Amino acid sequence: MNQNKLIIDANSSPFALNLKELFRYRDLFWVLAMRDFKVRYAQTFLGFLWAFIQPLATLIVLTFVFGKAVKVDTGGVPYPLFALSGMVAWTYFAFVMSQSGNSIIGAQEMVKKIYFPRLVIPLSKAIVGFVDLGITFLFMVTLMIFYEFVPSVNMIYLPFFLIMAVMAALSVGIWLSALTIRYRDFQHVVPFMVQFGLYATPIAYPASAFPEKYQWVMHLNPMAGVVEGFRWSILGGNPPSNYMYLSFVLVILLVFSALFYFKKVEKVMADIV
Amino acid sequence: MSDIAIKVEGLGKKYQIGDVKSGDFRNSFSNKINRLFRQTAATPKEEFWALKDVSFEIKKGEAVGIIGRNGAGKSTLLKLLSRITEPTLGRFEINGRVSSLLEVGTGFHPELTGRENVFLNGTILGMRRQEVNAKFDEIVAFSGVEKFIDTPVKHYSSGMKVRLAFAVAAHLEPETLIVDEVLAVGDAEFQEKCLGKMDEVSKQEGRTVVFVSHNMAAVKNLCQRGVLLKDGFVSKDGEIDNIVKDYIKLGVKNDFSQILDLTSLQRVNPPIDLIFGQISFDKQVYTTKDDLNISLSLKQTSNKTSLRDLKLSLHIVDVYGNQIYHLNNGFIGKVGIEHQNKNLYEFHLKQNRLKAGDYDVQLWMSVNGIVQDFIFGQIKLTIQEGNIYNYSRGKMILGVVQPEFSFEVIEPSI
Repeated sequence: MNQNKLIIDANSSPFALNLKELFRYRDLFWVLAMRDFKVRYAQTFLGFLWAFIQPLATLIVLTFVFGKAVKVDTGGVPYPLFALSGMVAWTYFAFVMSQSGNSIIGAQEMVKKIYFPRLVIPLSKAIVGFVDLGITFLFMVTLMIFYEFVPSVNMIYLPFFLIMAVMAALSVGIWLSALTIRYRDFQHVVPFMVQFGLYATPIAYPASAFPEKYQWVMHLNPMAGVVEGFRWSILGGNPPSNYMYLSFVLVILLVFSALFYFKKVEKVMADIV
Repeated sequence: MSDIAIKVEGLGKKYQIGDVKSGDFRNSFSNKINRLFRQTAATPKEEFWALKDVSFEIKKGEAVGIIGRNGAGKSTLLKLLSRITEPTLGRFEINGRVSSLLEVGTGFHPELTGRENVFLNGTILGMRRQEVNAKFDEIVAFSGVEKFIDTPVKHYSSGMKVRLAFAVAAHLEPETLIVDEVLAVGDAEFQEKCLGKMDEVSKQEGRTVVFVSHNMAAVKNLCQRGVLLKDGFVSKDGEIDNIVKDYIKLGVKNDFSQILDLTSLQRVNPPIDLIFGQISFDKQVYTTKDDLNISLSLKQTSNKTSLRDLKLSLHIVDVYGNQIYHLNNGFIGKVGIEHQNKNLYEFHLKQNRLKAGDYDVQLWMSVNGIVQDFIFGQIKLTIQEGNIYNYSRGKMILGVVQPEFSFEVIEPSI
């Protein structure tokens, strides 16, 4: 028999993250992610097609506004390809951030009745997001074939930027999920952040379009560095500026602060949700 | 290795009443600013200790009933033990795997099929997927919903949902099982099955069971030991029969202690002019000999002015659907009542004489000869084990009511 002893003490350290326990619940990540995925397009007429329509619509709008009307300098890359390479990471980020931000509120019935590591709820959204990521990637590949565009050798760096995207999305998502429990205001802030972020992040235009003076302000957005990195590894061209590291340091800070804040709120989560 | 399953030491849980619940940003922010500048303490919030200084030990294999009136801290204690929330003070230790059933089926998703929900619920409760897979057939068989296992759960009746959920939970094989009022739902047959399963878990498999219920008969049947909670303290801890007696004594003092809101209950027909508002029972717990005083308030749902000839019916129906009592103001000549919104209507029944068990209280109402509202299957009345005849084998007595009676031997004296 496995002798696992559980001790709960009101005076326990707030820094105990208990990752071992999180690992024991690893199946729950999958099951929750599968549930979200199955339920997402239930009772819709177009079903799974929606997963393609949404990014396509955004791409069309961006192409018309920034590609045709504003005529952004893409360094010779066809505009739809340029925009889509930026959108890949952003759509993932936006989806995971908004989904995990609302996740605890959405699971409040469970939270109030059953114990399991609460972190599983926002974390499982990162898995669901991979479906959307895969779809935008598929788009990307299709467009590349269409424009006969040869991918850059920088592609080998893509996994690194992917990990940064996951971390950025989850850390912001975890922060928001914990904050939303206390302050429902954040439910209204998130859609605004998604909308604002689409234009504040160098997705539809290159980061270099901003004057040097303000580059640091732009990179206070944790996704700025990630989006540039994605574009550089897929399309090649000029490497991103060193301001990129500012974004990455912010991502790391966000990850740790999110985990500790979440831990703090977790203690009373069932009481205040 | 110790033989202690659960050890609780000085456990306390404080709640703050009033504003602090998921408050809005502005309030919390302005409080912080105020504190910063005025250097005064935060606005004093009312504190409430749901549990205070609770200590006890439960040995492995013991079945312990936690009892107490509503608000005594039972649910808080279970929430702490099952880690849903964390204590404000004190500590506890649990040896071995725990699973808690504090209202089953909470992880169910309506859009998913029964099969998918079994996996979802199982993993939420801490099982691995292979484990669920291995026990899947057994779980489905126990639940009795085989035919609908690939139907989305939203098409299930509430009874079916509970069956399936309990089946998942019952097959968890934890070393310690924490159960709260699961049996409040489901039909009599399934309740029996659940109790049987719990009995098996505790007596035959030697697992530890912590059971909270208002059904004293079930508690007495299942547990050897009881912990009586009162206002957040352990009031008494000992042999189950004594604890149940103390609990029943507690119940006798209350006045209209149990009030239930009826407006939110399910209706078959939409309301017309009047619906039932609240029902209050004069006691928390009744025994066979107790008087039954039930008070009803009504709520007007239209602005019709004349609501004449009010007729109210109160039915008491047992778990088999037998109408035990049917009371109506019309039967005893209380006719021609015009409803006023402030009115309360009371039924008084001398010595209910009902046998111990659960009953369904059904309500029916008409005004001006038109049926306004009726409710059934949603208001529960529990009669506690009283053994009113003091007969040693009380369970042998058949029948649905237990009237007072006498017996005499008449010896003709020629």
